[in-house]
Amino acid sequence: MNIWQRMASWRGLIGWLILVTLLALYPYTGLSGSQLFTLSQVFVLVTLASNWNLIGGMTGYVDFGHAVFFGIGAYTMGILVTPVEMAFSPHLTFWQALPFAGITAALFALVIGLPTLRLKGPYFSIAMLGTFVAMREIIRIAAPITGGGKGLDLPPVLDRISDYYFTLALMGFVVAFIWWIRRSEFGATLIAIREDEVGAEMRGINTTQHKIIAFVTAAFFTGLVGGFWAWQNTYIDPDVVFIESRTVEMVMMSMLGGLGTVWGPPLGAVVLYFMRDILWANLLDYHLISLGVLLIVLVLFMPEGILGTLGDRSSTSLLHLWRRERHPSPSNQDSGGNT
Amino acid sequence: MDKLLQALLNGLLLGGFYGVMVLGFSIIWGVMGVINLAHGEFLMMGAYMAWALFRAFGLDPFASLVIVMPVMFIVGYLLQRLILNRVIERPHLMALLVTFGISISIANIYKVVYTASPRNVPVSYNGSVELFGLTFPIVKTLVFFVALSMMFILHLFLQRTRLGKSIRAAAQNKNAARIVGIEIDRVYAITAGICIALTGAAGAMLSPTQAIFPFMGAPFTLKAFTITALGGLGRIPGALLGGIILGMTEVLVATFVPGIGTNLGVAVSFVLLVVMLIVRPQGLLSGLRPMEEVE
Repeated sequence: MNIWQRMASWRGLIGWLILVTLLALYPYTGLSGSQLFTLSQVFVLVTLASNWNLIGGMTGYVDFGHAVFFGIGAYTMGILVTPVEMAFSPHLTFWQALPFAGITAALFALVIGLPTLRLKGPYFSIAMLGTFVAMREIIRIAAPITGGGKGLDLPPVLDRISDYYFTLALMGFVVAFIWWIRRSEFGATLIAIREDEVGAEMRGINTTQHKIIAFVTAAFFTGLVGGFWAWQNTYIDPDVVFIESRTVEMVMMSMLGGLGTVWGPPLGAVVLYFMRDILWANLLDYHLISLGVLLIVLVLFMPEGILGTLGDRSSTSLLHLWRRERHPSPSNQDSGGNT
Repeated sequence: MDKLLQALLNGLLLGGFYGVMVLGFSIIWGVMGVINLAHGEFLMMGAYMAWALFRAFGLDPFASLVIVMPVMFIVGYLLQRLILNRVIERPHLMALLVTFGISISIANIYKVVYTASPRNVPVSYNGSVELFGLTFPIVKTLVFFVALSMMFILHLFLQRTRLGKSIRAAAQNKNAARIVGIEIDRVYAITAGICIALTGAAGAMLSPTQAIFPFMGAPFTLKAFTITALGGLGRIPGALLGGIILGMTEVLVATFVPGIGTNLGVAVSFVLLVVMLIVRPQGLLSGLRPMEEVE
């Protein structure tokens, strides 16, 4: 049980690097192409969940439209590399276009974040939901550049092994980066903003600036993932890129593992992926229903996720916040606390 | 000029509908401090209920309000008792997450039950009347007047009745209300019931004018949020004013900016929301409580 507590020190990073190294050697045991593909999808989910956690879990600004950065990354990639002649198509290669996928998403986050992150949480949440829905329509309308509803084709690639290493490297870097942020003063400030924003401001912290840095960073990496995804998928249109379930899954994975923790979102992503794969593979229509119900159940009975319920109850968890503000008659909640 | 007047009229009619559509959202937020992200889904439930009654018994959508509203009241009452009550005292993030979960679940349950194909309620009087050189769409005009009377009745209820007064008391100061003997949980549950009933009624009235499908809700949640930001929390005149501003903006943009689809209404309301939040985050009129305090 205390293993989670000890992970809070350097061992966490060392363990992570060992895991990543092992995963890097794993293909030499002779994995099939589809196994590589499955694993790289898990890596993508871990990266997305960790990024969402940076703004949603650590800072406490629930982002209900984070997939918009994924979409912007994907479309930047699509527009830059598509072999089809559109109004603007420079025909770059994957590696030339990739940085732009991240940078465009980060710039967009800056533009959106400047007005919305000055405000309290709920405004930000709804503004992001609105950004997400509006962006899908804007992409559809801007057909001369984006191909509109017909979408864009990208040059086909069938190299599973480089997909695997790219996603592994990105995941390894992002999670290590989040680990580092969580230990740094910057990370502590983010947690302080979540716990007591007014208090943090009174101590002279420029909260808006910190929130925007966290938001833009998360958007940058999400944009990179989006760019990669567009390349891997070889086809994008507004409906496959801006799909609601992608945001829902980011929220769910962080929530399932433990909001605001370093290792919660990766754990949540792995659990959710295999749960989806095993339990819901044949019940496609019920997939989102079960996600929604699971989210309700998690909030009501397990608000700290797997990690918070298992171990570390002190530093990063939401539990004491909950305790502090909880209803004076908690009997009905305690009964469900361990289910 | 005629085009402008017609657009303003359409905007006004749409605004009246928005006014009643937003009330449920705005009052739940104002009284309980919960932002109901499943608002649009309750609207969708009302619309589907009206469609089902119309198809099974040929019941007029306006007449079906008699059934839709009590059923939705029970839905809202149970929602509050079973789920929202457990998250009200916790950080707002939890309420956001739980209503987000409710929203996804309801929309997808409806998708499984009714499939994603759009449904229509083709009422016989779905035409329009020419008056003073302007075109009045019959259904939308009816909706406008029903919406106004609903708002008026709700206003009287909140101002004059004992229950209405205890709802306002609970909104202003929960602990003080508790001390003077108001059963907060019960008041909250009744408030949620009324709000969801109004939302369902708005959905039922919407059914003759728009295609009904399981994912129609999300834009309405966003619009409700914009209108609440415009008009202030839990205020009926504010809801009407905000609704009319949004309705007119949407119609004017659709009329005078070429090459824009109807779907861009969401984008319009989003731009309005961001501008509003920057310029005047407390809303145009002061509400039940200042928005900044809500958490």
